[in-house]
Amino acid sequence: MTSGVDPALLYPDERAVATPVLRARRRLSLTRRHEARLAYALLLPVLLVILGLVAYPFVSAVYLSLQNKPVGARGHFVGLANYVELFRDEVFFQTVRNTIVYTTVGVSLKFVLGLTMALILDQKRRFNNVFRMLLFIPWAVPVVIAALNWRWIFDDLSGFLNNFLITVGLTRDIISWLADPRLAMGCVIAVVVWQGTPFYTMTFLAGLQAIPHELYEAAEIDGASVVRQFVHITVPRLRTIFLTTVMLSTIWTATNLQFVLILTRGGPANRTEIFPHLAYVTALGARRLGMGAAVSLAFFPLLVILIILLTRRMLSQTDD
Amino acid sequence: MPRTTSGTRRLFRWIGNGLLLVMLVWTLVPFYWMIATSLKADREIYGFEATLVPHHPTLAAYVRLFQQTPFLKYVRNSTIIAVSTTAVSLVFGCLGAYALARLRFRGRRLIARGLVFTYLVPPSLLFIPLFAMMSALSLADTHQGLILAYLGFTVPFCTWLLMGYFRSVPLELEEAALVDGCTRLGALIRVVLPMSLPALAVVAFFSFTQAWNEFLYANVFVNSVEVRTITTGLTMFIIEDVFFWGPMMGAAFLSALPPLVVYLIFQRWVVKGLTLGAVKG
Repeated sequence: MTSGVDPALLYPDERAVATPVLRARRRLSLTRRHEARLAYALLLPVLLVILGLVAYPFVSAVYLSLQNKPVGARGHFVGLANYVELFRDEVFFQTVRNTIVYTTVGVSLKFVLGLTMALILDQKRRFNNVFRMLLFIPWAVPVVIAALNWRWIFDDLSGFLNNFLITVGLTRDIISWLADPRLAMGCVIAVVVWQGTPFYTMTFLAGLQAIPHELYEAAEIDGASVVRQFVHITVPRLRTIFLTTVMLSTIWTATNLQFVLILTRGGPANRTEIFPHLAYVTALGARRLGMGAAVSLAFFPLLVILIILLTRRMLSQTDD
Repeated sequence: MPRTTSGTRRLFRWIGNGLLLVMLVWTLVPFYWMIATSLKADREIYGFEATLVPHHPTLAAYVRLFQQTPFLKYVRNSTIIAVSTTAVSLVFGCLGAYALARLRFRGRRLIARGLVFTYLVPPSLLFIPLFAMMSALSLADTHQGLILAYLGFTVPFCTWLLMGYFRSVPLELEEAALVDGCTRLGALIRVVLPMSLPALAVVAFFSFTQAWNEFLYANVFVNSVEVRTITTGLTMFIIEDVFFWGPMMGAAFLSALPPLVVYLIFQRWVVKGLTLGAVKG
């Protein structure tokens, strides 16, 4: 690749070096067309992945949703019949409500806890590094493992929670955490929050540490209280991070079916049924691929708004 | 005034310490329970004699895990799939990111936008058509099929992150290499990549953990023990045998270790990567 060392480069004289550099620049601008050709060649694998593994499946999801295709057989075109059936189904509307509750409560709690933890870890303290590392562990562990672990904690007869509450004397009855219609959703959300809070703590802490200390010192001299400093310095400085984190997390929370699949399977009586799980059960449990695609697409309009907003944010933040 | 401020500061410090303790307990108790369960004999796990602390710790659950379950096979499959996904995403990502960062051509912005968009489209929207696709191509229930499916989310992420990093590598060094007679590809390999090692590490970390932790595709596309990965293999323990919590918690603990270890190694760089570089700090 390298054709020996250019003797001009060995001399410290600037003019001797500058000429080949200029020549190279000119050469580069002359080869604009070659440049484009090379660019497309280098991007080919990435483009194939985007088109083949995301764009094409997405389009074929739309097409599937207009068919009555079962698993492993041909489907027939049925127009909007799947959607009509869906909008007449009571379970569908329950799922809409559940998904909204599950996502908003989960995201809000993660936000509050994450911000609290970030503020606490931003205080000066010995061993803060160790605490931070420990608090981030739930995030580094696979979601399935977190969910299984919690299912075992919630176990009626042998789980940690009931055993602990009985040992301490807080209750004498066995509580069916995941089977009780009043408790199930709360339990699922608790696990979602347990697993998802570290992500918020991490991003918020990074944001907090980027705020110059002088701002707080100046406010201190002016006699601003800790609360006022928080409202007038911390919150405005973190606004961008708040927005990005919440949008990313909303997409991830709303579309993750692992918690529900492992903890409750949508039960009891559809109390914890959310969109991704309903699509999963319809496509693979009932083996109706077309209907399953319709379920996940019915949820897509809400998501797509978020995705487009977030895409725009990401681009504007890297282009400056 | 300053005195009251330092007074409130001290108060906040103590509230902080208290909350920190509560959060540490809430975060770590599940892990305690996981490890404690894996060290108990069945007698201490179930029923009226169930204990909060293992009174007679034993490794019996681990012995059962290794001798009577396909756990090691699952580990092998997860490793093959996660490592291959990482390798392919790194190569694809580097090539594409270099083009986006350094070369001028039509459609550059459109492709950059497409990358973010693709990364954000959730797998729970794509698994049904992908499943139909994999079945049609007879890639369902193979390592290759699963690796291919994972590339759908690792490649856009890697390319995007590396693109941002490549842009920060000084142009002058590369020009010097080009003057020296290096080709574009040579400049990428000899100049840009060596200077981007931290970014490559982060990207490798994310591809590996995402592939290792993935559940939905692995659950839908794979049926046989020969291909099944750890995450789906673990859930099989409940369905096949209800009374299996000891070995299962052992398996859960062991399979949480690889991503945890990589995380501990890379934690300094992880935050930036997490939010696609949108959080600067």
